[in-house]
This record gives sequence, structure tokens and C-alpha cells, in this order.
Amino acid sequence: MAKVNRTRSTSPPDGGWGWMIVAGCFLVTICTRAVTRCISIFFVEFQTYFTQDYAQTAWIHSIVDCVTMLCAPLGSVVSNHLSCQVGIMLGGLLASTGFILGSFATSLKHLYLTLGVLTGLGFALCYSPAIAMVGKYFNRRKALAYGIAMSGSGIGTFILAPVVQLLIEQFSWRGALLILGGFVLNLCVCGALMRPITLKEDHATPEQNYVCRTQKEDLKRVSPYSSLTKEWAQTCLCCCLQQEYRFLLMSDFVVLAISVLFMAYGCSPLFVYLVPYALSVGVSHQQAAFLMSILGVIDIIGNITFGWLTNRRCLKNYHYICYLFAVGMDGFCYLCLPMLQSLPLLVPFSCTFGYFDGAYVTLIPVVTAEIVGTTSLSSALGVVYFLHAVPYLVSPPIAGGTSPQWPANCES
Amino acid sequence: MRALSGLLGARAPTPRLLLLLQCLLATARPGSADDSAPDSPFTSPPVREEMLEKYSNFSLENHNISLTEHSSMPVEKNITLERASNIKLTCQFTTSGDLNAVNVTWKKDDELLENNYLVNATGSTLYTQYRFTIMNSKQMGSYSCFFQEEKEQKGTFNFKVPELHGKNKPLISYVGDSTVLTCKCQNCVPLNWTWYHSNGSVQVPVGVQMNKYVINETYANETKLKIKQLLEEDGGSYWCRALFQLGESEGHIELVVLSYLVPLKPFFAIVAEVVLLVAIILLCEKYTQKNKKHSDDSNGIENNVPRLRKNVSYFRVIFQIKGTIQYT
Repeated sequence: MAKVNRTRSTSPPDGGWGWMIVAGCFLVTICTRAVTRCISIFFVEFQTYFTQDYAQTAWIHSIVDCVTMLCAPLGSVVSNHLSCQVGIMLGGLLASTGFILGSFATSLKHLYLTLGVLTGLGFALCYSPAIAMVGKYFNRRKALAYGIAMSGSGIGTFILAPVVQLLIEQFSWRGALLILGGFVLNLCVCGALMRPITLKEDHATPEQNYVCRTQKEDLKRVSPYSSLTKEWAQTCLCCCLQQEYRFLLMSDFVVLAISVLFMAYGCSPLFVYLVPYALSVGVSHQQAAFLMSILGVIDIIGNITFGWLTNRRCLKNYHYICYLFAVGMDGFCYLCLPMLQSLPLLVPFSCTFGYFDGAYVTLIPVVTAEIVGTTSLSSALGVVYFLHAVPYLVSPPIAGGTSPQWPANCES
Repeated sequence: MRALSGLLGARAPTPRLLLLLQCLLATARPGSADDSAPDSPFTSPPVREEMLEKYSNFSLENHNISLTEHSSMPVEKNITLERASNIKLTCQFTTSGDLNAVNVTWKKDDELLENNYLVNATGSTLYTQYRFTIMNSKQMGSYSCFFQEEKEQKGTFNFKVPELHGKNKPLISYVGDSTVLTCKCQNCVPLNWTWYHSNGSVQVPVGVQMNKYVINETYANETKLKIKQLLEEDGGSYWCRALFQLGESEGHIELVVLSYLVPLKPFFAIVAEVVLLVAIILLCEKYTQKNKKHSDDSNGIENNVPRLRKNVSYFRVIFQIKGTIQYT
């Protein structure tokens, strides 16, 4: 028995199959984050077909984003208790079903349910487990791996936006939704790539799981990846959950959670209000759109290069400081924003903010992994992304309400 | 009595009585340059004024063209007109030569216009003005002023009704679905909208059959045609015609009706690719796991042999030590 454990549990490979996991996570980020952003391309079609205004159709995007983030803990729980592969494949099937049913919609309410709730749920089941898996396969090169994996949202938006526009022109929105549903089915391929790995630090025998019931204070980490977890969960669900979410009581994690809450609250209005702010200081429409494009492209560069940078020998042990630096620079950019009243000043602002926003996105899983360790990484990421959900929903309207000179309706 | 009521009623005055009325009004009013624009060098003759009085509820449009003797290309001005208006066209010609030697003519399309235009000279610039009223579509067209010196200089005013901008890309829809065709006029308000459908070359007006077509005109400057229960024959060109007081304008929308099988083909192609990739990846995983198990088992056997050997040699040493202890 001990012999089997010795050959099966390994240290993070930092390469080998790990790069396939990174490719899988990259595809997951494209199929979830980039596709969510491209849904807004359909709004004009929905407005014409259902004769509704922009506010009604914009709800679809809000619902998808919100459900994806709010149900992120659910995704972690499913992948912990079944397996990462099954969880992501299930998510892919759900999301694809949402798109396919949406292509037959006869009213906007149908779209809220299918394209909004069902697809959002499918994405939630895929997103955090895939990111957690990258953390299990990489240790020394974690930041670089995350940088490459998270750049999928920027690169995916860049590629998918004209493709979706072309699909709508060729097949109208119904056909385009159907084909996009097929594309999202590739999440199942990503799920198949996520081979489970048992790490040295979390090899646990069934006896130890039994012991957890009686001696839970003595155990620091318990693996939820054991194949006997299913029947164990049935007998001791509450104990299991307590073990899984033990990190919630760690002071480091509480500080991280509060920081993430404030960061998400502050970051999200910028993407909504950059264009109206630029228009209000006298920048033309094309130049304002150019600012958003710069933001998107520099975001991708920030993802990859900052991941590579923090893996350099000099910065390897200072991930927290890099994270603080990235967040601090974002805040500093925000402080300078009221002084930037012309295009030549807004372009460097876009570049700086975009770069450090990409850096922040890359470092979130790295810092979370350092605080909670790889066993609870999946659940911890679920909680972190859950904390992103409410500020994303709430802060753009609040920002619109408190600044009377900005238009509340930001159709641009 | 009837004649008197005819005279006093504003609806259908006879032309002679109207002229009498205008003459009376003309004598009552002092002749002045009030009607003209402040910068115009012309004083209005009485006849002009009376005509303006008749159509005083129409708006006045002023348009100018400047020409010099060195203008190489004819100068054109496009004017969009939607309803009946009084028009005042002014052409000015600057030359260094003798102004009296310049011959000034006005033409509508290619027809020479007699009288009704005025010519005046100020310094080295020759001004000519043509005033008229456009009331129907026959009066629309191109009005040109000509200055004949050694070379002929031409200025043209093109009058057109507002154009409708159709969509360049075809509208795609599916059999059994419904679609909405929209025609919008940018800054104009047509009197009437009509829809036509042409499948080939013949244009057929779109009748308002209750179940099939619904025309919605919430705003005056746009019209929406909703077609329900689409069939393949409903595809083709749709024309929306806007009727103005001064003519008609047409917009074109192309409708393409597809069957559901069309997007299903790429969809099934993608599904097949996904199923294939998932099968390959899972088979690869099973294969590598089997290989690992085999190599684990074979490693285990090999590992056991040296351990056995170690154990045997260990026991041999123990026995040897025991033996030596027994001996001593």
C-alpha cells in the first residue's frame, strides 16, 4: 500500500503535462470570459428583433457575469467532490445547452434564462476548477503559467469579436448563437485534458478521512480528491465542508478577501466609464474606442510579462510585494485620472492601468495559492471569484449615480 | 352673391380677380428692397413681390454659387428639398475683363429660361439672380447659370428629394421565423410610405394581409414592415417608397430566407470535432495509465528482489554474529 502511494503522489511537475493543462486553461478562459464579452455584440440584433431598448438587453450580459462569479464556489465544490474532468465537462455541456436553447428563443425572458442563467452556471462550473488545476501542476513557474493561462480572455476577445460579427452577418443571431454553442462545447475538450494529480502533501488514506471525524483539530489539510470521498461525503458532509473551508478562518485569507473586494469595487467602473469620460473631456468617438483597444491589448501583455517577471529569481519569493505593487499602481492611476483631460495624457493612463490590471489578474491565483496551499486552492479561488461578483454588479451603477456629469446610460 | 362669395372665399379665386387683388395690394405698399436679403444687390420689382405674397406661407431658400473666369470645372451645388418652397438662386461672376461683354443665361436642365432673372454689376463682379417657386415634382431638376465670355462658365443647382439610405448587407432570417424591415429618412418627414416586393424584375406592392404583414409607423420619419411565418419565396428585394410633395424616393433592403439546416452543418462539424478530441484524449490518458501501472508492477518486482537479497544478507550477518557470540 505504501509502495503505491510513493509512486503515485508526486511534486508539481512544473512542465510536461502541465503545459497541456495551461493550454486547457487558456481555452477555458477564451470560452468563458471572452465569449461573455462577445455576447454584447448581439445586443443590437436583440434590440431590433424584440423591439426592446438597450437597458433590457444589457441585462443578459450582467446576468451571465453575475451568475458565473456567484456560482464559482459551486464549481469548486462539484470539481472537488466528483473530479475536475467531470466538473468541467458538465459545465461545458450546460453552457452549450444554454446557447443552443437561446437560439430558439421567442422573447427576451427566454434569453435571460437560457443565455443568462444556464450559460452562466455552465461557465461557473468550468472557471475556478481550471485555474486551480494549473496551480496544482506548477510550483516554481506558477506565475508564468497563470500569466499564459489568463491571457486567454484578452486574446479571445480580440479574435472572437470579428468572428462573432461575421457569424451574425452570415447566419443572423439565431444561427450565430447555435454555432457559438458548438464552440463553447470545446470546454469538454479542456475538461478531458485536466488529468488529476495527487500531490505529495495531500496523500490521504481512507483511514485518515475517517479519523477526520473524531480528530478534526489535528488535521491541517485533507485531500478531497480521494476516490472514496463520495461515500465519505454522504456520511460526513458537514465535517467535509468544515475541512474544505478551513482557510476562511486564516487571517491572511481574510485580508486577501477584503483587498479583493475593494479592488473589484474600484476596477470595474473604469471599463464601463472610460469611454464616456474620454468623450466628456473632448476626445472623439474613434479615439475613445482606440483607448479601449489599447486597454485590452496592454492587458494581455501585462498578463504574460508580469507572470514571467515575477518568476525571475530576484522576485520569486516576493509575490505578495508584486501584488501590492500592481494594485498600488492601479490605485495611483485612478488618483491621477481627474488631472488627465486630453488624449495625449489618457493614452499613457490606458497603457499603465491596462498593464497593471493584467498583472493583478495573473497574480490573484498565485497569491491565493501561497496563502491557502494547493489542496484548498480550488475552494479558495471559488470564494475569491465569488467576492468579485457583487462589486462588478453594484459598482458601475453606484459610480454612475454619484457622478452627475457622467451619463448614466453609457451606450457608446 | 355666388360671385361675391367666390371673390371673398380664399379657396378658389379665379386668376383674373387674383391679379386685380395683387395690383391693388401692390399700389398700397411702398416699393422697397425689404423683401430682398440685406446683402443682395437687387431691388425687387413689383411683379416679384406679388408672386411672393401669394406663396408667402412657403419657406424661402437662398443658394449662391461663385465663379471666376479661371474656374476650370463647372461648379455644382446639391440641394435637398422636401416640400414646396420659394427659391432664390444667385450666381456671381468675377472677371478682370469687361462686364458688359459677358452674356448671362439661365437654363433648367437643357431648356433656356426666358426673363424672370435679374442681372446687376458691382465693381468687377457680375451678379445674376433667379427667383421662382417649386411646387411639384416637374419643377425639380437642375438649374444652371451661364456666363459667356471667351469661355463659358457654368454653375448648377441640383434639386433633389431626400434620399433613403438602404442597408448594404442583406438581412438574414429563417423559414418559419419573423423579421422586421426598417426604412428610415434622416431629416425628413414623408407624406406617405409604401412597400414593394420584387422577386426577379416585377415589383409587387405588399398588401396588408393580417397574418403575414404588419406595417408599423410609430415615428413619421421611419416605417417598419414585420413579416411573419417566413417562407423561402419571401426572400428577395424589398423597396420602401417615400412620397414627398415634390417627388418620390426609394430605399432597398435585401432579405435572404435560410432553412434551419444551414447553420446546423457547421454546428455538427464542431460537435464531431469535440467528440473526437475528447475520445482521443481520454484514450491517451487510459493508455498512459496502463503503461504506468505495468512499469510500476515491473519496478515493484525488481524492487522486491534487492530487498529480499538485502533481508537475506541481513539475516546472514545476524546469524554470523550470533554464531560468534555462541562461540565466545
